[in-house]
Amino acid sequence: MTEQYYFDHAASAPRRDEVTEAMAPWQHGVVGNPSGSHRAARDARRAVEEARDVVADFVGAKPGGVIFTAGGTESCHLAIVGVTNHHRRTSAHSEIVISKIEHHAVADAAEMMARDYDDVSVRYVDVDADGVVDLDSLHELVNANTALVSVMAVNNETGIRQPLDGVNAIAKSVVTGGVTTHTDAVAAAPWLSLSTITATSDMISICAHKLGGPVNAGALVLRGDVVLDAVTPGGGQERGRRGGTVDVAAVVGLATALRVAKDELSEVTDRVLDYQYKLTAALSFLPGCAITAPSASRVPGTVHVTFEGLASDELLFLLDQEGVCASAAASCSSGAATQSHVLEAMGVSPERARGSVRFSMGAETTDRDVDALIGILSEVVYRLRADA
Amino acid sequence: MSGGVDSSVAAGLLIEQGHEVVGATLKLWGGVSDSGCCSVADVDDARRVAQTLGIDHHVFNYSEEFERHVVTPFVNGHLAGASPNPCIECNRHIKFELLFERALRLGFDAVATGHHAQVVSRDGSHYLVRGADDQKDQSYVLGYLREAQLAMLLLPIGHLKKSDVRDHAERLGLRTWDKPDSQDVCFIEASKGREVFLRQRATLTSATIVDALSGDELGISPAAELMTVGQRRGVLPGRDGEKRYVSRVDLVAKRVEVGRLDEILISSLDLDEASLTFSHTALGDGHTVLAQCSAHGRVQLATLRHDERWWLELHAPSRPVAAGQSVVLYSVDEPTIVEGAAIVSIS
Repeated sequence: MTEQYYFDHAASAPRRDEVTEAMAPWQHGVVGNPSGSHRAARDARRAVEEARDVVADFVGAKPGGVIFTAGGTESCHLAIVGVTNHHRRTSAHSEIVISKIEHHAVADAAEMMARDYDDVSVRYVDVDADGVVDLDSLHELVNANTALVSVMAVNNETGIRQPLDGVNAIAKSVVTGGVTTHTDAVAAAPWLSLSTITATSDMISICAHKLGGPVNAGALVLRGDVVLDAVTPGGGQERGRRGGTVDVAAVVGLATALRVAKDELSEVTDRVLDYQYKLTAALSFLPGCAITAPSASRVPGTVHVTFEGLASDELLFLLDQEGVCASAAASCSSGAATQSHVLEAMGVSPERARGSVRFSMGAETTDRDVDALIGILSEVVYRLRADA
Repeated sequence: MSGGVDSSVAAGLLIEQGHEVVGATLKLWGGVSDSGCCSVADVDDARRVAQTLGIDHHVFNYSEEFERHVVTPFVNGHLAGASPNPCIECNRHIKFELLFERALRLGFDAVATGHHAQVVSRDGSHYLVRGADDQKDQSYVLGYLREAQLAMLLLPIGHLKKSDVRDHAERLGLRTWDKPDSQDVCFIEASKGREVFLRQRATLTSATIVDALSGDELGISPAAELMTVGQRRGVLPGRDGEKRYVSRVDLVAKRVEVGRLDEILISSLDLDEASLTFSHTALGDGHTVLAQCSAHGRVQLATLRHDERWWLELHAPSRPVAAGQSVVLYSVDEPTIVEGAAIVSIS
């Protein structure tokens, strides 16, 4: 068995020991239903509310705005569908404005609404060649019919940051009363202070497993007085906004992951930023390798590149053989690498996009991992080039 | 690994023979599909079989190339009055070209598939031979393979009957053991058929069906592109009560001519020179072969002719073969051995 070098934190980060330990008491024996009234239920409820406080603090919102969900996709779905459905009741037409580089959790929810209801349509905000949302394009799209604007905080494929303050300023100023805004902060949460960067957003989606927490754990956090329709009202939990028994272990895991990430943020950022510089510099010497949007502002953990004339399928296969776990970032339900809508929106040619690979790092990444990756990748690229 | 039983067992048998095996599934078609190797369910089956066998499994996306080399030519062929065989084009361009090249680049020594055909090595040369199961023989769709490809091709189930393949699958505990065989073109939904598919991509021609002998109009074909010379389906009998067969399709004049079987028989087939492939040694003018013109069609004796063009002189009159179809040439001396293949050109 070859040694493993894990460069796919953006897909799922290694589970933190602190998380596993914090979740353990809630994964065996009696675990009360937090909605109940007896001792076991109260214990569970306390754990849930403590977790809610942690999440609220992490995002810089009030605990009452935290809706626990089963992950980032559900959070985004609830934001898009819940707000649009609410908007439809008072408006003849509802337009959902999203960027062209949103994760499918957002884009598919919006497109589902447009497909199912004639009075709903989706408008797409352009991005520039650096993969950054074009605020002029957004400005043209927002109007009195806009139900909500959803622009991600950090793109999950490229790691590139988005101008949320600009997005929110436009959404709030173009139309009287302002338009509700949502941001998918799943890719941002491990790296940026959400209480700062999403301070002007109305709704923020996060999930746990990108920070070493469990999958199937996330939250949609509302600021102020955003109103939405529940997608699953049954049971009335989460103040009627998300029915279903709250998974105590999951929310404890989410809160623990957020707390640990916050405590370590500055140390991890400093270290991983060094790795990013090192990896970027090394990769830029490889033949035909281009760093995606090299001058755009990005999170420390992601290095996205394209290799001219090579196929990411082949690169990833050979990397996998040598123990490197990385991904092409865009994949379809079959698991096959697929043309990335993000790169397409950025104007990257399909030929170039075919050779795209994302290396993503996190707290567990070491200098040794990075050195190993650089060595293995050079070998693999030269080997494929020699055969081409 | 398509997710079907044949490739599942092929992988299992190779492992038992001591090979180091990695499973690969080709993602070829992005659209709606209910059969073949492209649906998520099929990929899931292939992945689960690989897990059961304890081997790595990868999904390779060739959907762009499939569109370019298989689907677009399929559509354009029909619009030009030809009937290309998409399975053959997929084998030629995707499986045995792009996948082979990739396998070499990734350091593999051989590529194996679950086709019902065999590779026989003799005196340092490799020959493509019919599969042992007559009913399932797929040597026809592999007819364009050449020595270099045959030398690195393993066909682990070609010597087995289909029922034996299923027995092996059951013995190996593979979930695909009772999965039905796929029959149709993988990118066309069986319930909708070719016409619906082509209409999504092109405007089809409505044409008058005319009896060439009497000039009588026998009806209207709503999609003349789907009428193939030699076909009887969808054609009404003539006034004399005898069956009629398509003899000519003229898309420009919007006219499909039909005739009695004895009127439409042909005695030669023109071959597209660019597509003409010899498996091993080049065959020349005067060489006699057994020609097969469809996946499970009967063979007929023919002599290869090469003057200013390549063509086949058929020893007995034959039903016409649509342009775009492939004719695979088998040896007269050893009728299971493939000697070459070519696309039938428009005469």
